[in-house]
Amino acid sequence: MEPSAKLSQKGESLSVERQQRQTNLIDFLRTIQKPNKPVESLGIHDSLVDSGLIDSLATLQIVEYLETTYGIDFASMGVDPEQLASIAGILDLIEKSRP
Amino acid sequence: MRARIALDQLGQFHENPAVIAWWCRLGGRALEWQTPARRRMILVLGAIWIGFKEPLETLARRNSPSQMPDELGAIVVALLAFALLWLCYKAASNFKSLPAFVRRHPYISLHLLYWGLIVFLLSTTPALGEWRSILVGVAFVFPHLIWRCGYLLQSGLHDRVAGTRFRDHLFYLWPVFGGSNTPYGKGFDYLSRCEAKTAEELARSQLAGIKLLLLSLAWSIVLDIWEAFVYGSGNSLSRALGAQPVVPYLNDLAQQPGSAPLWVAWASLYGELIRDVLKLAIRGHQIIGTLRIFGFNVFRNTYKPLLAESLVAFWGRYYYYFKELLVTFFFLPTFAQLGRKLRDRPDLRLFAAVFASAFAGNLYYHMLKGSRLLGEWQVPWPRVFYCFLLATGIFLSMWREKRRGGVTPPGGLGRRVLRIAGVWTFFGMIIIWNTNDGHAFYTRTMFFLSLFGL
Repeated sequence: MEPSAKLSQKGESLSVERQQRQTNLIDFLRTIQKPNKPVESLGIHDSLVDSGLIDSLATLQIVEYLETTYGIDFASMGVDPEQLASIAGILDLIEKSRP
Repeated sequence: MRARIALDQLGQFHENPAVIAWWCRLGGRALEWQTPARRRMILVLGAIWIGFKEPLETLARRNSPSQMPDELGAIVVALLAFALLWLCYKAASNFKSLPAFVRRHPYISLHLLYWGLIVFLLSTTPALGEWRSILVGVAFVFPHLIWRCGYLLQSGLHDRVAGTRFRDHLFYLWPVFGGSNTPYGKGFDYLSRCEAKTAEELARSQLAGIKLLLLSLAWSIVLDIWEAFVYGSGNSLSRALGAQPVVPYLNDLAQQPGSAPLWVAWASLYGELIRDVLKLAIRGHQIIGTLRIFGFNVFRNTYKPLLAESLVAFWGRYYYYFKELLVTFFFLPTFAQLGRKLRDRPDLRLFAAVFASAFAGNLYYHMLKGSRLLGEWQVPWPRVFYCFLLATGIFLSMWREKRRGGVTPPGGLGRRVLRIAGVWTFFGMIIIWNTNDGHAFYTRTMFFLSLFGL
């Protein structure tokens, strides 16, 4: 089952734009996830590191992804590891950082 | 196969729904009573107790009593330490109204405050009287709190302190559950995220805590056996068995390079790594086990580092909360700041962030002790070299993993054993220089060369 479908079943009412960002983010996470921990098994509020999906190296890759894809400037706002801990946190960060 | 499954289930008893349900029934009303607020209150009372006990003990241990405050002075030091923590809480809860420099560089500002105190003390003499002694006491005690205050400021930076009370933070600022200058369980944000909110979550956390306490006990027994049969001296077990030393301790051997046969030197090297990991696991499991009993289901400090297949994996699993400290206060800020300048040079950006943390941050952390800064200062060359090797190893390991792009390295038991052996050898070797004794660099380097018959 596609994670986006699974998450929608959980009653998340997502805007189309947020839904698209979530799909893109999950596609990206698939490229950096550990092989034995599929991203499909996670809910959007589950911790990516605690669940073993990614390690601290992958956190950097998420930062790079957000910088290049959404132009987020971490130099001015700092990196908040708690914000990057879950899919929902990352989506909130993208929304918060939009001009 | 069936035995393996049974063993796995036994090892994961804390996640077994039937065991959790049994623990809930057993705990009954006691579990219901242990609400997050009550559990935190118990830890706050412990924090007040440890906040006086620790400074009194720390200052009594020091060997330069002329500079140190007396017992009454030590109580004033403890009160001042509480006052500093409160000021830090106020700064975090009013973060947006702080001066622009402090908002931009909260950690640097905090450390500048401490360095200001050190400079003041170095530029004055004990003739200044009791108040100077009290400030010397603060300089000795504050390194234990400074990284915890850093986590508090981080919570303020990300707007998570407003609406909380000082006592909501006190329990991890003066942790009664233990820890070194490194904050086990990090700070408010992480602890709050991992806190059990329901009786069932508490049961799950407590069972996980009990598992860690049992593991700690088991590793203590293994360490005693290891010390008895490998080193032949040093504990009651070896004396009772009359065990003869087989391998000398690395510290003893490193002072006399070439004094032992090659196999003994190598055995001592690997033996020291195992001993080091066991000691860290025993202490870490006790602290994290206690935290979990209190409902904070946080990561272990040490998680099977001797099975790690890469340097960066070992580093993350060996002393997790120290690694997190370096990542939070050195690695991520450097990585973020270099985003504009080095966005097109990701390898250089990674290199700078790794060296800012594993080399400079690691060195700074170990230097930040009142006794060292106010005593006779010497460059800790062995540790400088140790941190350099560590940073180089971690960078190369991260770089390789990044290049690999998430693809698992080739499988097979033989290759896996080779990779693990490589990790053991690297960390076993760099331990040789993991000391602050500035005079030891030459002899330790000679010992390293003697491992290859040179």
